[in-house]
Amino acid sequence: MLTYIIRRLLLLPIILTSVTILIFAMMSLLTPYERASLYVSDIPKQSGALEGIIEKYGLDDPAPVQYWYWLVGRTDPETGEIKGGVLRGNLGWSKTGKGDVAEVIGRRLPATIELALWAGIPMIAIGVWLGVLSAIHHNRLIDQLLRVFSIVGYSIPVFVFGLLVLLIFYARLDWFPPGRLSDWAAQIVQSNNFTSYTRMYTVDALLNGRLDIFWDAFIHLVLPVITLAYLNWAYLLRVTRSSMLDILRQDYMTTARAKGLIENVVIRRHALPNALIPVVTVGALTLIGLLNGVVITETVFNYPGMGSFLSEAALSLDVVSVLGFTLFASFILVAGNLFVDVLYGAIDPRIRLE
Amino acid sequence: MNQDVLLRVEDLKVYFPIHRGVFRTVVGHVQAVDGVSFTIRRGETLGLVGESGCGKTTTGRAILKFNRPISGKIYFDDQELVGLSESRFRPFRRRIQMIFQDPYASLNPRMTVKETVGEPLMIYRLSRGVNLRKEVQGYLELVGLSPQYVDRYPHEFSGGQRQRIGIARALALRPDLIVCDEPISALDVSIQAQVVNLLKELQKELHLTYLFIAHDLSMVRHISDRVAVMYLGTIVELASSQDLYAQPMHPYTQALMSAVPIPDPKIELQRNRTILTGDVPSADNPPSGCHFRTRCPLATEICATVKPRLNEVSAEHYTACYMISKGG
Repeated sequence: MLTYIIRRLLLLPIILTSVTILIFAMMSLLTPYERASLYVSDIPKQSGALEGIIEKYGLDDPAPVQYWYWLVGRTDPETGEIKGGVLRGNLGWSKTGKGDVAEVIGRRLPATIELALWAGIPMIAIGVWLGVLSAIHHNRLIDQLLRVFSIVGYSIPVFVFGLLVLLIFYARLDWFPPGRLSDWAAQIVQSNNFTSYTRMYTVDALLNGRLDIFWDAFIHLVLPVITLAYLNWAYLLRVTRSSMLDILRQDYMTTARAKGLIENVVIRRHALPNALIPVVTVGALTLIGLLNGVVITETVFNYPGMGSFLSEAALSLDVVSVLGFTLFASFILVAGNLFVDVLYGAIDPRIRLE
Repeated sequence: MNQDVLLRVEDLKVYFPIHRGVFRTVVGHVQAVDGVSFTIRRGETLGLVGESGCGKTTTGRAILKFNRPISGKIYFDDQELVGLSESRFRPFRRRIQMIFQDPYASLNPRMTVKETVGEPLMIYRLSRGVNLRKEVQGYLELVGLSPQYVDRYPHEFSGGQRQRIGIARALALRPDLIVCDEPISALDVSIQAQVVNLLKELQKELHLTYLFIAHDLSMVRHISDRVAVMYLGTIVELASSQDLYAQPMHPYTQALMSAVPIPDPKIELQRNRTILTGDVPSADNPPSGCHFRTRCPLATEICATVKPRLNEVSAEHYTACYMISKGG
């Protein structure tokens, strides 16, 4: 088991290197001027500023050289000081987030985790529950209704569904606003008499005993949570249903009934634990996907998490930020997959990791 | 009624509806079991043979209420089972157990041997805790497995061992009747004999009654006291094992017997073989009268009229054929 984990972790540097090289290769399609223009405001007035930046940061060096500098840092010709260098723990400066890349990620991550947890838990619970329901009532009315419901769920694009609920529940009814907090709540949260423990506002509000702020943060979460949960549990429902149907056909279901168990116990003790094995994989991977930020959902609801950070950075050609985000996302993905594999071995006695 | 009889099945019919079209209307029925009657005496083994699709498994499953018969009666220990609700039937679940064909599919892969074998004991509050573990170990020994195996999972065993676990599980409730649904056909030939012998020993020791469903004629002969031969949902011949194999009467039984190879080339070459032509007709539209008449070498007009009933042609030897009841 331990050797398995170590072996899998050894893959991590290889994956991270490949991913960042890929991003660099794509970046070399941009001209140095396009990249430098991000850092210069009002270009026509400042003649020579672009050239200065290109010169200073070596933006016209060959891509492999630039990649090397990004990895190990670059000696400043004037001061002799080494700047940057991912291997030295410096991801560079993010123009988009106005801060060090690592620090910006640290600032944006809690919002995304908060959204992922709020969306993920009902998503998995309801998805699995409806999937089981669907399988038990195979081909009956409830199964047909859920089939329509789930097919609609995974055929609607996020931006359509998101804009639709925004239109109804915000523009029309004004029940659930976009963003993360109302202005008055944001002021309190940033003030000195509010302690930020986790930077997840719903959690912090409860820890500070501020129910009004909890409520405010909560109603801001409702729409993105509904959007993410609906679109994802449609998938979970289908996975659970087909896995459950498969198990219900197995001989050991008959064995269980032959023992004289009542149907509820047969489902709970014999069918569910077996049917949930593939569901755990899908559910956990979906949750990990949510942790990396959901670009479209966060953009639609103006939610300041990892996803909207990435889209802002990419749109302004902020290569440094995109690279930093990619590194982080790849790490989460690899670690998450490893976690799922280990979990798999723990819940299925037939699987032994070697 | 006869004290000796444990199970009596009377004119059992199990039909499965066939759905077609957009609205899944019922367009016909598969007549899986079409009027089957037999009795099993306490402590005996009744073999039920026939080719696949002839309804032998459906018959077995109907006794355990896994299929709902459309008509007919099943008496177990003089109690009618067919009309019972699931909750009224539950006490009988304990007394009628089943051993399944596929030892790989019939054990829950996420349960240890102790959980699988011990679960019914817990349900019926027969045993728990340390006692449960000991009891399960006892059953493992009974079926010839090491008691150390209690905490293992099914995937750690071979097919034959798994089938032994399946048997231990069935025994754990101390049943009166065990329906063995082709318990050996998924096993290697070398293991088959071991399992059949184990079943025989257990029968002697625990006074069990078996309904032994199989298609392997020589294995059935070895274990059964009496044998019923099924063809397309009906029993065509029923006799003691010795009688049936020595003197098969029904043309279908004769054809079956002559299909069993004899491991001696001289005899094999000399004997007269009855070879059937054509396929088994579909069970959703069986031939009128005798179901076998379309392939029967003896068939005449009378065979197409009414289905022949089982007649006692000699002592304890029943057959459903007009040609034989006539000729004696």
